[in-house]
Amino acid sequence: MLLNVDNITVHYSRLPALRGVSVTVDEGEIVCIVGPNGAGKSTTLLSISGVLNPTEGVITFDGMTINGMSPEAVARAGISQVPEGRHVFTSLNVEENLRIGTSIRKDRSEIEKDFKRVLDIFPVLAERRKQPAGKLSGGEQQMLVIGRALLTNPRIMTIDEPSLGLAPNLVDRVYETLLDLRRERGLTLLIVEQSSERALQAADRLYVLRSGEMQLEGNAADLRDGEKVRQAYFGFEEGAVHEDEVAF
Amino acid sequence: MDYAIQTAISALSFGSFYALGALGIGLLFSILRLINFAHGDFITVGGFALIVPSSAVVATLSIGGFHPALLAICIVALVVVLALISYFLVFQHVQNSSPATMMIVSFALGYTLQNVIIMIYGGRPKAVNIFSELTGRVQLSDGVSVQILQLVIIAVTWILLIALVLFLKRTRVGIQMRAAAEDFRMARMLGVNGKNVIALAFILSGGLAGIMSLLFVTQTGVLTFRMGVPIMLFFFIATVIGGMGSLVGAVVGGYAVGIVSVVLSAILPEQLRGFRDACVFILVIVVLLARPQGLVLTKAAKERV
Repeated sequence: MLLNVDNITVHYSRLPALRGVSVTVDEGEIVCIVGPNGAGKSTTLLSISGVLNPTEGVITFDGMTINGMSPEAVARAGISQVPEGRHVFTSLNVEENLRIGTSIRKDRSEIEKDFKRVLDIFPVLAERRKQPAGKLSGGEQQMLVIGRALLTNPRIMTIDEPSLGLAPNLVDRVYETLLDLRRERGLTLLIVEQSSERALQAADRLYVLRSGEMQLEGNAADLRDGEKVRQAYFGFEEGAVHEDEVAF
Repeated sequence: MDYAIQTAISALSFGSFYALGALGIGLLFSILRLINFAHGDFITVGGFALIVPSSAVVATLSIGGFHPALLAICIVALVVVLALISYFLVFQHVQNSSPATMMIVSFALGYTLQNVIIMIYGGRPKAVNIFSELTGRVQLSDGVSVQILQLVIIAVTWILLIALVLFLKRTRVGIQMRAAAEDFRMARMLGVNGKNVIALAFILSGGLAGIMSLLFVTQTGVLTFRMGVPIMLFFFIATVIGGMGSLVGAVVGGYAVGIVSVVLSAILPEQLRGFRDACVFILVIVVLLARPQGLVLTKAAKERV
């Protein structure tokens, strides 16, 4: 098991945001956490990244305990996070943004190769190399932050809502890219989404999180009809929920 | 015309001095959200380091008696060390607190430094002469003569500005600093070492303070334990006017405050000249009413509005 989030509880001041949440990710897997707004999805990822510190429970990465470590130490260990809202450095140009991703690396020649590879994967970034990142469109910014995270040479990438604020065709492109990266580079992915439909298509395994507690866990293949996910997601039996509301 | 040129050079020199000060504050604020009111006292400490510690009325030069180059290096290094110590001993422990808490801590540090100076050197002002050849005047043309120091301040400021820009744009660490200034958490999540970046900001800010000690003491020729306080007020106003968190803003604000001060001195009627600073502050209020976010907008400020 590459990443093991074991029974963690996280508080924002006094209020618990997560209660006894566990997530595991194996090498090469794509795992999705879905859940409604405020379920604690981002909190889970920020705990993994070392931004938040769980009050209980343990997070291990490749056998090493990482909770309590600083965000930069976690990044160094091989976990790269693309947080919600993308967080490009708007006043830096595209190339500088990408270079920040190489902060932790010393292998100069490998860095240059990876740099070229990222520009090959995202040709639009090569075109706009010298432009301020703040001038890019939402889709381009999403490409930029994925490319930037890739340049840290991570063993696992966690992504918070890659589809947020993007047009559907762009969302398709983002997911295609992520699947390609897994196929070509064996990248392990932990993705958080509000839309369970999208997550079910891409993921190997799925978790449903609601009100800070894990409701459901299973292989995406077994959950594909969506009924169980829907119940876990909304927390009540079949009823007034309309099919296309589930997507949000 | 000659008077105008002389005033212009004087204004540029004042503006440069304020720009350097505002930059020292802006560097820390952009990364740490710390308004370091002890910055002025760093400058004071740099000045007092020139003389032998004693409460005697007549000051004896210590570092101040060194060869000019060595003198400058020693004072700058000393203030850099002071800035680093204040980070590791003081600010590091409150860096996750609110900006208001950090600011109050910086006041406390400033008062502590002032009182340490009183303990060691006594409270009376002391006369000190360094780089005295710079206080002479040079004849630029028939009617125009300016103090050499004014030209030196302008030159030093621009050399430092260019060096800083090159550092921030061209070097790996500089780019990391800019990233950290815009989004500290994201930079750390990408592996940028937060502590190093902050320490570097303190080093740069302390270095600027050290250089300003030299310029300021050369200019005034007097050391007092509170000499950093009034200039700090102007630096702070300059950063606010320019736009908190923007380095370009700090420089613009510094020049704005410096130039306006000098121009007011030149054009105000005789009876009002004593109230020059009051007039400057009135203009500051007007500017902030029109542009509360400062003259230069930053992304960080945009988000907060």
